[in-house]
Amino acid sequence: MKRIDGGLIDRGQILTFTFDGRNYIGHGGDTLASALLANGVQLMGRSFKYHRPRGVLTAGSEEPNALVELRSGARQEPNTRATVAELYDGLEARSQNRWPSLAVDALAVNDLAAPLLTAGFYYKTFMWPKAFWEKLYEPMIRRAAGLGALSMAPDPDGYDRGFLHADLLVIGGGAAGLAAALTAGRSGARVVLADEDFRLGGRMLAESQLLDGQPASDWVAQAEADLRRMDNVRILPRTTVFGVYDHGIHGAVERVGDHLADPGPVRQRLWRITAKRTVLAAGAMERPIAFADNDRPGIMLAGAMRAYLNRWAVAPEGRVAIFTCCDDGHRTALDLVARGVKVFAVIDSRAEAPRFGDYNVMRGAVVTGTQGRRALRTIEVTQSDGTSTWLECSALGVAGGWNPTLHLTGHHRSRPVWDATIAAFVPGQGGPAGLAAAGAAAGRGGCAAAMADGARVAGEALAALGMSVTGADLPATEDPPQAIAPLWHVPGKRRAWVDQQNDVTVKDIRLAHQENMVSVEHLKRWTTLGMATDQGKTANVTALAVMAELTGKSIPETGTTTYRPPFTPVSMGVLGSGDTGPGFRPRRLPPTHRWAEREGAVFVEVGPWMRAQYFPRAGETHWRQSVDREALAVRRDVGLCDVTTLGKIDVQGADAGAFLDRIYSNAMASLKVGRVRYGLMLREDGILYDDGTCARLAEDHYVVTTTTANAGPVFRNMEFARQALFPDMDVQLVSTTDAWAQIAVAGPKSRALLERIVDGFDLSSDAFPFMACAPLTVAGGLRARLFRISFSGELAYELAVPARYGGAVMARLMELGADLGVTPYGTEALAVLRIEKGHAAGAELNGQTTAAMLGLGRMVSVKKDAIGAVMSRRPGMAGDTRRLVGLRPVDAEERVVSGAHLFTEGAVRSMDTDEGWITSACYSPHLQTMIGLGFLKDGADRMDEVIVAANPLEGSEVRLKVVSAHFVDPEGDRPRD
Amino acid sequence: MLIPHPLLGPRDAQEFTYLGDARLIDRPDGMAEGAGAAFHDYLYLRDNPAGPHRELWYHEHGDRSWLVVTRDTTTHEILGAELVKGPGR
Amino acid sequence: MTDLIPEPALGADAPMRREIGAVTLTERTDVGLASLALRAAASEPAPFGLILPGPGDSVVLQDKGAFWTGPGQWMIEGSENGDFAATVAAEAPGCSVTEQTDGWVVLDLVAPAEALGTLLERLVNLPPEALTPGKATRTLMHHMSVVLIRRSDSRLTVMGMRSLAGSLWHALEDTAARLA
Repeated sequence: MKRIDGGLIDRGQILTFTFDGRNYIGHGGDTLASALLANGVQLMGRSFKYHRPRGVLTAGSEEPNALVELRSGARQEPNTRATVAELYDGLEARSQNRWPSLAVDALAVNDLAAPLLTAGFYYKTFMWPKAFWEKLYEPMIRRAAGLGALSMAPDPDGYDRGFLHADLLVIGGGAAGLAAALTAGRSGARVVLADEDFRLGGRMLAESQLLDGQPASDWVAQAEADLRRMDNVRILPRTTVFGVYDHGIHGAVERVGDHLADPGPVRQRLWRITAKRTVLAAGAMERPIAFADNDRPGIMLAGAMRAYLNRWAVAPEGRVAIFTCCDDGHRTALDLVARGVKVFAVIDSRAEAPRFGDYNVMRGAVVTGTQGRRALRTIEVTQSDGTSTWLECSALGVAGGWNPTLHLTGHHRSRPVWDATIAAFVPGQGGPAGLAAAGAAAGRGGCAAAMADGARVAGEALAALGMSVTGADLPATEDPPQAIAPLWHVPGKRRAWVDQQNDVTVKDIRLAHQENMVSVEHLKRWTTLGMATDQGKTANVTALAVMAELTGKSIPETGTTTYRPPFTPVSMGVLGSGDTGPGFRPRRLPPTHRWAEREGAVFVEVGPWMRAQYFPRAGETHWRQSVDREALAVRRDVGLCDVTTLGKIDVQGADAGAFLDRIYSNAMASLKVGRVRYGLMLREDGILYDDGTCARLAEDHYVVTTTTANAGPVFRNMEFARQALFPDMDVQLVSTTDAWAQIAVAGPKSRALLERIVDGFDLSSDAFPFMACAPLTVAGGLRARLFRISFSGELAYELAVPARYGGAVMARLMELGADLGVTPYGTEALAVLRIEKGHAAGAELNGQTTAAMLGLGRMVSVKKDAIGAVMSRRPGMAGDTRRLVGLRPVDAEERVVSGAHLFTEGAVRSMDTDEGWITSACYSPHLQTMIGLGFLKDGADRMDEVIVAANPLEGSEVRLKVVSAHFVDPEGDRPRD
Repeated sequence: MLIPHPLLGPRDAQEFTYLGDARLIDRPDGMAEGAGAAFHDYLYLRDNPAGPHRELWYHEHGDRSWLVVTRDTTTHEILGAELVKGPGR
Repeated sequence: MTDLIPEPALGADAPMRREIGAVTLTERTDVGLASLALRAAASEPAPFGLILPGPGDSVVLQDKGAFWTGPGQWMIEGSENGDFAATVAAEAPGCSVTEQTDGWVVLDLVAPAEALGTLLERLVNLPPEALTPGKATRTLMHHMSVVLIRRSDSRLTVMGMRSLAGSLWHALEDTAARLA
């Protein structure tokens, strides 16, 4: 092909680019495909399976063949369609799936082996030996058959997201779309117009049809200028609406920087567009006719040939012919002739084919073969009387009719319906609510018809929203005839390609049928038809028609394909919208985080929180050294730990106590002001849900704490109880988790330390006993709350101060307690201390356990109704005799591993004899051995028994002695000290 | 999906947390005779209609209202939404 | 008075401030916050003379303000004074009042109206009418719950959980930078 005059390219803009290392020149407004064609390059790729040489088939996003790798280095992007890659200066492109070069491809031998590589060949050939699949067959197939390659380097580009809200979303900026947008824009509706092309106009840009006697591009420019003047209209070019979701939500990708040599800060943007109504004006896609060897470079769709001619000023050279079954093929011939290209034949399968201009028509004739190794050289034409002739031909346009681009109408499972008058599927009933197709997408194609339809459908959409409609002035134009007598494939012995991307031929479809693939879904999976990057946009309907012929059924009886998002491929990068690095997910920092950083803490992720795990000191080389030191310091002196992450819920109201009686299994209404109680929350099915403390600050004011993990869910459940279950209670809830920095001050010297910071507050056990709480001030007037509670089992307190003072209070306590041996401790030592004390945590409250199993059965009150209380008493649950026990290895050197299962010594290891499992384990620096907590059948009655913990994952078995879960201070005297 | 919040207008479903059948509002009295059987039915016997379904949604990232939303399970069409705590409750 | 030095939510020595193109992002540490919820028997109060707003709205009167947070619930804004809840409680007898000053990071975003509109379009999934001047609403931003208060065409307050201050700042900074 070669460049001619005219077209919608900017010849003043000279763009240099490379393809497979060779330099070429194109212009502004070119795509990679149009620029390559203008440079006489027809061979653009090798096919997936047989490595057949392929050229460009289409001029749009449906392209199956011309897939290239764009850019280099980390930006290398495989499988990009040359037909939609906008040319820029310096563009680099490479062909794919060939070795050593595009022209000489060693794996083209696959084509000779074609009889072996038919439909379903993987399934038949590579069955055994089984081990060979992963090591040999799959890598081999992947190398031989395939698409482009990834760079394997991190994506250097930026991505973004955005949200738009519209009265009307118009998808497609062609005749119907522009008419719809103009109508809605003038009517004052909030409009978003999205078009996948970089230039508005759609098919109008590819046609020579005049509007009001002027080139269509003039009218399009005027319409675009009008729309841009309207504040209520948003135009998004280079934007593909890839999916329609419930309630008018659409996913779209805007290619912000893909057309620039340097994509800039945002390469692509993911839009979530919420529209009250949607007009799908996506146009139509031309379909090929399957005939023998119809895949050679030089054979393209007639409409694409016309688009390259009119829009991109690229004309075919040499001997040009058209093969058609409809009037539209003649339109290409007419345009070619008008631009001085001689068309030696329009081969029209219809016996009564028309002739509209100065070209030769071969009526009732079909193309039955082609030749030419890397480009088309000759075609075989067979007349209705059966005589065949080989004719020299270098360019063949194929016109099989147009399929409405209705994909998005099928995203909610609506099936298209067959329209015999245009021989195509049109949108069916039950598509996405609020979405209506218009113009060619609805089967009402032709510029004039589509414009009128776009205006009408937009008007109806606005009327449905109760808006008044101001019509748009639409130009006068006349559509050419569009008669069709569909021809799907030309019978013959040689391979006729239906799906060029997946190398599926008519023969493969026949074979699949013979092998009893009766449904279209079977066909797809057996042959891979309709898969990969183009999802069969140019192949599916033809395949259905061939299948229909084989089964003797009609096309609509045979079925339709199911359309799913995305309409065209979407990069993973844009779906992530640039949320990488620190933006990957939100991270919560407790108030003492900076202080802990300064202390050299090692941090650990706990859900969204970053918590200090331990604080290494000089000379410590192993985490255990730090953790052991921290835990021992708490038992000997005093330690400090930020426990802010525990959820805090402020509960107020006249019925606060009665409400909490419903929420907790144990009584809270009877709690005295100034006191704290440990509480259990159950699920309504009786399983343990959460635990924590509940403090009563006033008659009508409590503060509830939750576990870190359940802070959100517990609040949600309490709101459900407040609003839905007990709406007559006077109770108000608000989360205060972030408002208070809460610091655990634990250890025998904790009182001594706190005495140095409180403002004259009496901390003696008489004045402030175990499980007391009080508001107070510290450090010279700072508002604070003090709770005398203990997770470690030692004399301990939790001090809450306004969050912004958390770091400062922590630092002050460290300073004041230096002579007391004050030691900061992290989550690891916290866990060691609570295991030593036998306190339950997440590993014990794992959604399978009950209060009784924790030995806390009496905390489920029978005197009141509470969530989960009734079901916790049902027979299966109440009869559970597994109890939380402590476990110590008989041989102190042995390891205790959580997750190991417990058995009676000497018992057979089976599900039936399984007696429980270890929930938590750690090294206890206090006992100088590993210890564990676990649930054991009849555990309460088996103290001092020796049992076996089996860990089949590591093949280990350890003898353990059953002991009290309270390894430290079983009488509980220390916290009451 | 869009949830038509009765006070705030349509809001994206991402702001909400789904719970399930709105029958969960009608919690039996735990102190009544036969509470065990009543709770069994309440917890485990749910209708699973193909069609309109009254269900609970929580505006977790909004005003923290619990809503009863009537949704057609076959089409996802939302036929109505009201506050769980409304007049008459 | 305590001699302890409070730390701004973003953890720097002083409140953060950054100009990114046309957008100025400022951390506020001078805002006092207290939540207010009506009790069953209480009549709707008018703390500091504020007429408590309806769903999606905010009000301002001199140096005090209020925005709706849920049925029968509001957040009252004032100047930070160490115990703002006590001040509010005195103005709202019979209501449940909770100190919230420390629970939040408060960020002010100032930009020309058009830039602010574009920024909002990139940040939150709300129709523009939900955020016209005077509107206040809670929504999701980059997987974080936030409260947005549109003070004027060119000023927006973003409030998030204090512990998320860094992530929120990063999201705003990043989005503004992509705009610039």
